[in-house]
Amino acid sequence: MTMTTALTTRPTKAQLAGVDLLRIVRINEEIKSVVGVSFKINIMALNAIFLAKRAGTAARGFGVLSNELRVFSQDLRDGMSALTRQIHGCVTEVSVVLQDIRHTALLRQAVELSPAACGRLVLAAREAENERHAERLVRLRKQLRAALDDAFRMVELGGVLAKSAKIEAAYGQSFAVPLSQVSGEFDGVVEEIRASLEALRRSAFFTGN
Amino acid sequence: MKKTKTIFEDGKHKWIAIVRDPDKPNYLIDTNEYLVTHGNQGMLVDPGGAEIFPAVFSALSAEFDPSALSAIFASHQDPDICSSLALWLEFNPQMRCYVSWLWSSFIPHFGGSTETFVAMPDEGLDILLDGLHLQAIPAHYLHSSGNLHLYDKVAKVLFSGDVGAALLPPGEDGLFVDNFDKHIRHAEGFHRRWMGSNEAKRRWCERASQMEIDMLCPQHGAIYQGADVQRFINWFDGLQVGLCGS
Repeated sequence: MTMTTALTTRPTKAQLAGVDLLRIVRINEEIKSVVGVSFKINIMALNAIFLAKRAGTAARGFGVLSNELRVFSQDLRDGMSALTRQIHGCVTEVSVVLQDIRHTALLRQAVELSPAACGRLVLAAREAENERHAERLVRLRKQLRAALDDAFRMVELGGVLAKSAKIEAAYGQSFAVPLSQVSGEFDGVVEEIRASLEALRRSAFFTGN
Repeated sequence: MKKTKTIFEDGKHKWIAIVRDPDKPNYLIDTNEYLVTHGNQGMLVDPGGAEIFPAVFSALSAEFDPSALSAIFASHQDPDICSSLALWLEFNPQMRCYVSWLWSSFIPHFGGSTETFVAMPDEGLDILLDGLHLQAIPAHYLHSSGNLHLYDKVAKVLFSGDVGAALLPPGEDGLFVDNFDKHIRHAEGFHRRWMGSNEAKRRWCERASQMEIDMLCPQHGAIYQGADVQRFINWFDGLQVGLCGS
């Protein structure tokens, strides 16, 4: 009986909006951790540049890649900042939709209870406004998803750079071990970010599942 | 759905009490809302919380066009007083909300914009409702630190907010007080605990004694009328307030 009810009961709009809010909050938390990691890459890249300079000509290729990784980390942070702004926009809009749902439910109840369905026009205006908010949320959701895809592509490029740095490290002669260690750390961190973004792209906030 | 009862009527000048919803959940305190109409305008007095908006709206709309509500009077800042504000503003975004200056930046958290609020000074305010002069009367610290009541000199009605309020048990929840001694027992604990200042109480009683009042209309409980009005003022004057039960 309970299972049948669970299978047939559809969640209300308010419940769905509440779940959406929870999902976007989780995405925001994940983005915050990615921003923290991207800051770490910047420091790592700086250290790698100094190490490459000490290694001299043997680590020239590694030095070029370290510079590229530093640029990548800055681009990644900029991308994450833009994502954070978009997420804040989504959180605001989901909150507005939640408030709309509560207000509209009270207005609808009032109109249904009142004689001659007084207030129908106000309710219709409220519902039209709700539609606008819902459409805006759909747009923000698409923009956020596109921004996540862009960030993901950027991180894939970062992964290529990190892997190339690993190869270059092998030519570092007496500095090969420390260079390998640094490039291995790069690769690990970039992979960590890639996995986070991959998970975010699969978030039910975008798929609705 | 709440019931409406016209408690004063002289042509288009009316006081309508909106009271007693049998479907109201027990966890919400029961409230009385009042609609004052004059000419083509209406003022809703302590419109109530968001949760009871459908019940108040439906009852009110049976008597009056909600889009013709020009003002809301909020005696103080509590959620059972005016957390429904945003919903009322849907019907008339030009509606004004009269509120103590003390709360004029707090109540906007319930809704409204800069244009919505009329901040009432501590000494009170004359309010015009389509030619009818209403008076906001100071009742600070009874119970809120910024608290005003509404007096209609023509109808001789004083809306007294939480002063006169009683928490009535089922079966004793008539609209008017019919047995003062029995009724006041349901008001005593409320007034001792909620009213914060004996000095403020004294001043209010002195002021109220000098006013012509046929009906004293609280936001909770039953309406005092006739001799029960002065009886209540005398009782309140003698009560020690600002006391915790334990």
